[in-house]
Amino acid sequence: MTALLAGGPVIPSFGHGSSCELNNGWLCTEWLHGHWGDTLQPALIQHLELSAIAIGIGFVLAFALALVGFRARVLDPPIGVAADFLYTIPSLALFQLLVPITGLTRTTVEIALVSYTLLILYRNMIEGLRGVPADAIESARGSGFTRTQTFLRVELPLALPAIFAGLRIATVSTVSIATVAAFVIPEGLGRPIFIALEQDVFKTEILSAGALAVALALCADALLVLLQRVLTPWSRLERRA
Amino acid sequence: MFRKHTRRAAKAAYSISLGVALLIGLVAAGGGSAAPARSSAVTVTIGTKNFTEEYILGQLYKQALEAKGYKVNYNESIGSSELIDTAITSGKINFYPEYMGIIVEDLAKHTAPLPSAAATYAAAKRFEESRGLTLLNRTPFFDADSFVMLRSKARALHVTRIGQMKKVRHFTYAGYPECRTRPTCLVGLKKVYGLRQVKFVPLSSISVYTLLNQKKITAGDGFSTDAQLQSRKYVALRDTKHIFGFQNVAPVITKQLASEGGAAFAAAVNAVSAKLTIRAIVAMNTAVSINKKTPADVADAFLKANGLK
Amino acid sequence: MTLADQFRPGTFVDAIHFIGDNGSLLLSKTGEHLELSGAALGIALLLALPLGLWLGHLHRGFFLAASVSNVGRALPSLVLIAVGLTILGIGFWNNTAALVVLAVPPILTNAYFAIDGVDRDAVEAARGMGLTERQVLLQVELPLGLPLVIAGIRIAAIFVIATATIAAIAGGGGLGEIIVNQASYGLAGVVAASLCVSALALLAAVLLGLVARAAWRRRVSVS
Repeated sequence: MTALLAGGPVIPSFGHGSSCELNNGWLCTEWLHGHWGDTLQPALIQHLELSAIAIGIGFVLAFALALVGFRARVLDPPIGVAADFLYTIPSLALFQLLVPITGLTRTTVEIALVSYTLLILYRNMIEGLRGVPADAIESARGSGFTRTQTFLRVELPLALPAIFAGLRIATVSTVSIATVAAFVIPEGLGRPIFIALEQDVFKTEILSAGALAVALALCADALLVLLQRVLTPWSRLERRA
Repeated sequence: MFRKHTRRAAKAAYSISLGVALLIGLVAAGGGSAAPARSSAVTVTIGTKNFTEEYILGQLYKQALEAKGYKVNYNESIGSSELIDTAITSGKINFYPEYMGIIVEDLAKHTAPLPSAAATYAAAKRFEESRGLTLLNRTPFFDADSFVMLRSKARALHVTRIGQMKKVRHFTYAGYPECRTRPTCLVGLKKVYGLRQVKFVPLSSISVYTLLNQKKITAGDGFSTDAQLQSRKYVALRDTKHIFGFQNVAPVITKQLASEGGAAFAAAVNAVSAKLTIRAIVAMNTAVSINKKTPADVADAFLKANGLK
Repeated sequence: MTLADQFRPGTFVDAIHFIGDNGSLLLSKTGEHLELSGAALGIALLLALPLGLWLGHLHRGFFLAASVSNVGRALPSLVLIAVGLTILGIGFWNNTAALVVLAVPPILTNAYFAIDGVDRDAVEAARGMGLTERQVLLQVELPLGLPLVIAGIRIAAIFVIATATIAAIAGGGGLGEIIVNQASYGLAGVVAASLCVSALALLAAVLLGLVARAAWRRRVSVS
């Protein structure tokens, strides 16, 4: 039924919300059906993108720093302190501190997210590398491996468990912090939560977006566990032995 | 045996990291790729502020312009007036819908009240044109501050006009922090209406209506086109002394966009603005806030019903 | 389409001015922030610390301690705040409860592993000397495990201060209230409050770090 005003606009019927939506129910399936495609799915994909980019860049950066800190021991404390410093800054504050520099862009969000991965990844990588038993290194050198060969074929693979432990923690944390990105750019699973808070605390939207964020984090964690089993089959053998 | 495992694992690790790096590169590159070229040389980059009504306005103008063949980039939810004004003056966007009173009071810093919508529009236009921007036509609807309460509470206190609150010994009034220093808000209530006994409660992200529902406040700063105001549950006391100003919306555009687009562009935008009466906007706000439709869908339906799409 | 370089680094200068001009506001907001954080951390300590210490003493509940940490990390702070608001409405408890949920995992997990990992010989020796279980825990295991316990409290404190910032959107007040209200306080105000809350978090981290180091030194001298 449309409202016709003389000379005024035609106001079409925009459709009525379901009784669940109107009464702010806990889990309105009609809303989930209707808005998966235009609200939840895009937010989920954006969240995935934001997290993946941050973890990827963070991994590469942390690895480079870990190599430096591992080889030049004197540089380890300052790198560690700098990473710890960044990690301690509240996420929302770090986002806002970057806004005057890089604007309201994905760049701001990624810089902040990468900063949070650095501490965990760096510490775990260094500890992983340091935890390689000296005998393994010695026997490799003894068999004629160069320093580089020893590193690539012995130290690095043996450090993988620790690296994976760090990667798991960093991944879950990144997915979790990426919800705060909605304060800066209208992307990620934090955005539906924001909109829902503005609309008189719309429960279904908050719970569904929140559940997706948690599920994403836990799935990523599980995938990394699987990947670790594939890449370090000897650790399974050791456990069985 | 051990060496074979480590070598295989190492190879797998390196190929996986290479794959991940490639994937990230593709995603990052994909995010930055441009849309396919259009025939129209005029590109409109629309920005919006960060609340429901602005999302609806943004979608209305975006879809209407796209229907007319313009290329539109859409940057939703940039932020408040300060941020979006910086965005347009630095050329990052060239179009955004703004409230006239906000231009005059917040941006031009002209705090003395103006007597009419026409005067406010003229003052706003004068200000923007002094900085390389201009205004297109204003909408019929205005969205000004409102003194809202629960209808039950207003009935209990026997008040229908703001001035009558003077007899209430003590009450709380919630509003955004900037309300505290505005003549169109708390300052006006105290000075013009003499309501010195009011206690101000600053809002952050929770809506005034949520606080009213939970009986945490007596009254609050709502807006005249809020969907919630249409229900019997809430009431806006009458502003007999007109402290709340004139807040019609007008698109702020860069002078460059105005000259590039010319009369055809202005006509397309003004055609949309002309249809935005209070009833229309309230209906759209209701559809989004209460009935949980998306601003894009609501704008689409409205434009189609009015032959603008 | 990026909106980069639309903002000037000069905002930082404006932010410093904001701090100068609004000292009392920032101070009162900091007080609110500490109040909320302190209350939540205190409650979390009451709930998680005894439990973690006791479970570690009994060497039971490894699965609980390990998984509570994994799940806790997967709970985004924004989601916790929003859910707290959804369930409990606006007030003191919605944010406090959310912050407690966030603070419990690191305290619990670290307390468990701290006590669980104490040298068994030292524990046996203490038992041999006739100490009760409670005395063993308090006089032998806890001092030896203290550094790790405090490390957990330190992490919890950092999480809580950070999330209390976000709690502003659910009526939590504090420095976050300025940060989420860019419309009222301007970008200068937001940056100023961000600097303040960062300083607060760093201060807490450094202080608790010093306490942890003191505990470590004491542990070394004790054993």
